[in-house]
Amino acid sequence: MKKFILISFPLLLGGSIFSQEDTLRFPQTYKEIIIQGHKKENKEKTSVQLQLSTDELLSTTPGITLIKRGNFALEPTIRGLSAGQINITIDGMQMFGACTDRMDPISSYIEPTNLEKIQLSTTPNGEQAGSAPGGGINFALMKAQLGAAKKFNGKLGAGYQTNANNIQTLGTFQYSTKRWALLVNGIYRKADNYQAANRQEILFSQFEKWNAGVNLVVALNEKNRISLDYIQDEGYNIGYPALTMDVAFAKAYISAVTHKYENGSRKLRSIESKFYFNFIDHAMDDTRRPAEMVPMHMDMPGTSRTFGMYSKAKYVLNSKHILTFEFNLFQNYLHAEMTMYPDFGSEMFMLTIPDGQRRTAGLNVSDTWLVNQKIKISYGGRAEVNLSDITTEVGRQTLTSFYNGEAAQTRISGNAFAQANYKLSNKFSIFAGLNYGQRPPSLQEIYGFYLFNRVDNHDYLGNPDLKNEASFNGNIGVNLKYKKLAISMEGFVNSFTNYITGLVLPEFSNMTIGADGVKQFDNISNALLTGGELTVKWNPIKSLTVQSVNSYTYGIDESRSFLPFIPPFKSINSLKYGYSGWNVKLEHVGALAQSNVSTERFGEGTTPAFNLMNFAVQKHIELSNDKALHLEFGVDNIFDTPYYEHLDVMKIQRQGVNFVMRTTFVF
Amino acid sequence: MKNIFLLSLISAFLFTSCNKENDIPVDQITGETTPASEYILLKKDTTDNDLVVELYAQKEIIEIGYTHLYVKIKDFNGADVENAAISFIPIMDMGMMQHSSPAVQPVFNSSSTFYEGKVVFTMDSEMGEWELDIMVNGESASFDIEVMKSPTGTKNVGSYNGTDGKSYIVSLIKPFNWTVGLNDVTFLVNKRASMMSFPAVNDFIIVMDPQMTSMGHGSPNNISPVSIGNGYYKGQANFTMTGDWRLNLDLIKAGDTIVMANIDILF
Repeated sequence: MKKFILISFPLLLGGSIFSQEDTLRFPQTYKEIIIQGHKKENKEKTSVQLQLSTDELLSTTPGITLIKRGNFALEPTIRGLSAGQINITIDGMQMFGACTDRMDPISSYIEPTNLEKIQLSTTPNGEQAGSAPGGGINFALMKAQLGAAKKFNGKLGAGYQTNANNIQTLGTFQYSTKRWALLVNGIYRKADNYQAANRQEILFSQFEKWNAGVNLVVALNEKNRISLDYIQDEGYNIGYPALTMDVAFAKAYISAVTHKYENGSRKLRSIESKFYFNFIDHAMDDTRRPAEMVPMHMDMPGTSRTFGMYSKAKYVLNSKHILTFEFNLFQNYLHAEMTMYPDFGSEMFMLTIPDGQRRTAGLNVSDTWLVNQKIKISYGGRAEVNLSDITTEVGRQTLTSFYNGEAAQTRISGNAFAQANYKLSNKFSIFAGLNYGQRPPSLQEIYGFYLFNRVDNHDYLGNPDLKNEASFNGNIGVNLKYKKLAISMEGFVNSFTNYITGLVLPEFSNMTIGADGVKQFDNISNALLTGGELTVKWNPIKSLTVQSVNSYTYGIDESRSFLPFIPPFKSINSLKYGYSGWNVKLEHVGALAQSNVSTERFGEGTTPAFNLMNFAVQKHIELSNDKALHLEFGVDNIFDTPYYEHLDVMKIQRQGVNFVMRTTFVF
Repeated sequence: MKNIFLLSLISAFLFTSCNKENDIPVDQITGETTPASEYILLKKDTTDNDLVVELYAQKEIIEIGYTHLYVKIKDFNGADVENAAISFIPIMDMGMMQHSSPAVQPVFNSSSTFYEGKVVFTMDSEMGEWELDIMVNGESASFDIEVMKSPTGTKNVGSYNGTDGKSYIVSLIKPFNWTVGLNDVTFLVNKRASMMSFPAVNDFIIVMDPQMTSMGHGSPNNISPVSIGNGYYKGQANFTMTGDWRLNLDLIKAGDTIVMANIDILF
């Protein structure tokens, strides 16, 4: 049903124009941000997208807002929902950050060089690998292309940003035959401390990382192919100015083997099965901070390992019904510990995530029903079983500190969704949906042990007695598409029961030095989120594009307190002029003030409005033999405006003026 | 036929397992089990009435604090004597003065064939000389005991002057198998009635507050010890992490805090 959004999105995000809806395309209830594609016309756009960071790509997407703790590894939220409320996957693979302070959302372990596209769903849907009320983000990995026009092709890029002395070098290379194809990609990025407006240096905002990926596709025959993926991502010396600690290293190892069967002429169109394993090794570090900032030196390493599989099938029942089935299994194991070294006395050790483990088995079934030429309804659901437990004796002992029941627990959760799309004419369609989503609390929310939250300055305890969080979600929207004007508008209401948040335990003393107290994850009876997005694209003349992307979210809980991490109204407006390989873009980014905060309850302060301007000029030079050179020069935050966004932890000022130079060579 | 064979197998198994259990005396206070075969012989002495007194402990090194001591009495022919009247009199000789310390008098344990008792060594041997007199049927055997300090950062016993003008001794009961999470903790409280008499005190209300001293935080869900008789108080302490913990104990009588004791634990 949201195919219109799907179509309008790439338009808005800056590039190629998609063909009109192909009704036999399989149902998609998500929006897409294309990064790399095999299509020839994508060359120019890919040159731009590849050079951005995953965070930049996400931040310009309506509905997504990022929680910022440093200049790296921003955490995505969707319409005011985050962490366990949304389901973030890499190519359908479940993966869970290892850090107890949410320093490593899994989006920090992949780079645009790995990606074909980013898929965003704002509601539960049939493709979700876990039950989550808030939809999710899937980072679809770029696959090597069989039988490409050029046997050997690739892209090389380099970029430099004056602010933070930020350098990056990237490359992707593909070798393609009819039977097999190999894709190799890599990126290296490094930045010093960045400077906010007025050349104010933000200490501990540096980072360094590299990422390499390889994909091998082998066609067994016309209908069956095997794909192998491996990604290694290593970050070092990553600063988190909003937190009390930095990161010494954050490493991820992602591997998968996929089998895909496709037959365009049979009712059973395709079966895709994937087996995967990923491992994250993460170490927090405070040794680079000056001694007066560190009341006590500590080490906080954490690991996360997940292995799993999924198998999904698409079945064309008849010309009106397309069924999809997906079965998935995964197991995640989390270990996080802390060792503290006081100046006097003995070192102290504790488990902050006491060896929690979750096993999940789920089944999705959905149907896309093409009722007639005008109406399309997709509906379906997911049911899953979760087994959570603590796997070690010391972990179970730790749990006795705050819970006297059994560590092991079984939960059942699920989603149900129905979305309808009514096409009044080729130019005008409306859509509406009703969804129900339920999620189990995360391992952190069940077993977490004194997890420090910098925003409300409280230590958090897990709660094995938490009920599943559930929500009813309704959305309604309009898509208009004229020759020169495209408008997409959507509103949503998300009504939660058993919303999970932290409630103060007054008798408890905090573990973190300087914290204000202890909270425990608990259910509150209700919470309500509402808001919407509006995107407008106007081409008054062919070479000029005016676009505007706007989003707003409002959230309150049962006691009429405003929920935390809710973005205010934000607007990204641009003017783009393209002529014979030249592209000039002037962009305005602004947000209204956020005064809907509950400081006492959630620790958040208000955030002032801001407006800033960006400018970029690009030149795309087509060379012989289908090669191309892409040059870009830009100025971010032209007027050096001091600002921060509402989801920036500790209100750390964002980057001031920044000159950007990038070049990409496509061959 | 088959059934009988099975039955005999089962009964044989049952018997062996019973015997095995009998080997391991269970401590009435803490539920701790130490097989008698692991007792370590410290010293031997012979009384004037020709009984051989062997003194055993759980470890070769005796530390300050609550200590399990086991006694084996043998007659001149080497046969176990099981019905002797036996008592412990610990004596600390500090040169200028002598005093005793709290003791739990030994009783014969028929399963281990040892007389089992406890002595609270309230000082280490740098402060003076410890002698343990064991009275057996009216005659004494004497043992010099070397009492070591407890490891740095730990304090298993403390003497306190109460606000009622009396002096009290609070000792932490072994075993010290501390883990992160909830731990059973037991204390023994004695009053110094005289230099030689330390009766157990049962009528305190104890409020316990564990604190991590190097970080300045406590822990939740502790259960303050309550009297279980014979001067013992049993509760649960919650250690949220390893490291230095101080158990602050307020000993309260009729609403007044008589003693503010502290015990230090390190694990």
